[in-house]
Amino acid sequence: MFKIKFRLINILNTKEKMLKGTSLFILIAALGLFSCSTDPINDLSTEESLVYITNQDKTADYKQYKTFSIVDSVLVVENNQSGTALTEIDRTLLSRIITNMQNLGYKYVAPGAKPDVGINAAWVTNTQLNVVSQPSYYGNYWGGGGFGGYGYGYPSYYQYYETSESYWLISMVDFKNPNTADKTFKVIWDAQIRGSGIGSTNYIDQMVDSIFSQSAYLKNK
Amino acid sequence: MKKLIFVAFFLFAFSAVYAQQAPQLYTLPSPFERYTHYLVTARLTGAVPLGSFSDNYIDKSSFQNYSISLEWVLRNSPLSLGGEIGTTYFEKRIPRALYESGDETVSAVQTRTLTQHPVQFFANYHFLGKSSSIQPYVQLSGGASILDYTLYYGTLAQQKQKVAPTYGIGVGSKFLFKKDGKFGADVRVKYQGTSFKYDYIDKGISSVNASVGLFYRWW
Repeated sequence: MFKIKFRLINILNTKEKMLKGTSLFILIAALGLFSCSTDPINDLSTEESLVYITNQDKTADYKQYKTFSIVDSVLVVENNQSGTALTEIDRTLLSRIITNMQNLGYKYVAPGAKPDVGINAAWVTNTQLNVVSQPSYYGNYWGGGGFGGYGYGYPSYYQYYETSESYWLISMVDFKNPNTADKTFKVIWDAQIRGSGIGSTNYIDQMVDSIFSQSAYLKNK
Repeated sequence: MKKLIFVAFFLFAFSAVYAQQAPQLYTLPSPFERYTHYLVTARLTGAVPLGSFSDNYIDKSSFQNYSISLEWVLRNSPLSLGGEIGTTYFEKRIPRALYESGDETVSAVQTRTLTQHPVQFFANYHFLGKSSSIQPYVQLSGGASILDYTLYYGTLAQQKQKVAPTYGIGVGSKFLFKKDGKFGADVRVKYQGTSFKYDYIDKGISSVNASVGLFYRWW
């Protein structure tokens, strides 16, 4: 609100000599219209904010895979640095993945027992530093009066702000058909879980169930 | 006798002058007819999406729309010219659904929004005079629209901003609150089209906008 008010006052101060009354009226009205904006997603519930994104390899024949295994802890990736973690939420996530895979018809085996597919789970956080120049018109109002016609001489100030987004990344890797030429295992399916409630244990079962239920092609029965 | 004729002449002359002046007082046109004058109108608008914009993106009517216009009502002409600036906002929430494209499947609650700030010049043709208490008109307008297309998947946003050409055609009427008064109401129904193509919107944005406004005129 204050920013809007200051902006209007500033425009009144600096432009009034140049503009006729009518044009000024339009200008103020326009600023008033442009300044008001609503946040269309502030009424979303935590459940509604969740987004499930899955990718499938359309060339893969999922029926050929019979056994699977899963990592013993969650990979935590933050700005390309990684480590592992096994908190309560991580354990809930991993065990729910196992339940879902078994329901789809895959057999759970130990990681060393040559599983056909392996499941990786990661918590990825990307942090970015952003920069904006600070518009001078926010601070151009001197309430004391007596300096009519003067504006402030601003140097170019910059403001920094950080944005950060986290998401779950679950990938299914084909161990059965390794690419021997360049020594890689192909990712045949992956899922991202994004939104505001992803760090809460309350939704973890629902989140895992959702990514598998929207990937019916994984069914192996 | 001469005196009598003199008095009679004066009486006759004055009565003739008086007889001429009296009706003139009442037939003197209002200043709004004699001068080119200004008219400012603030409108509140309900907008109903049309065509492919309604079919593919948002079909929900919107009532969060405002505009303000300033017009020059020309002397000795049924025309008025002016500019209008406004804001239109459409929004629709779609419950959780699956969206597939290529290898990707997305499950999300979509919040579809479209914000428009049209800046238009317009010409009105009035069918009745400026002192008539009801003044129907037709309107043609054209200009540019500052557009913001933001589609939310949950809290993730996909956004496109653009300035696109916009135009409109409308019919309306002004209603004066008082004969030759300065204040009045304005009712208008207008078709508005904007050329825009992005994502879900493949054939532009079109809507029928019905507005109720208040105006003030001065010279």
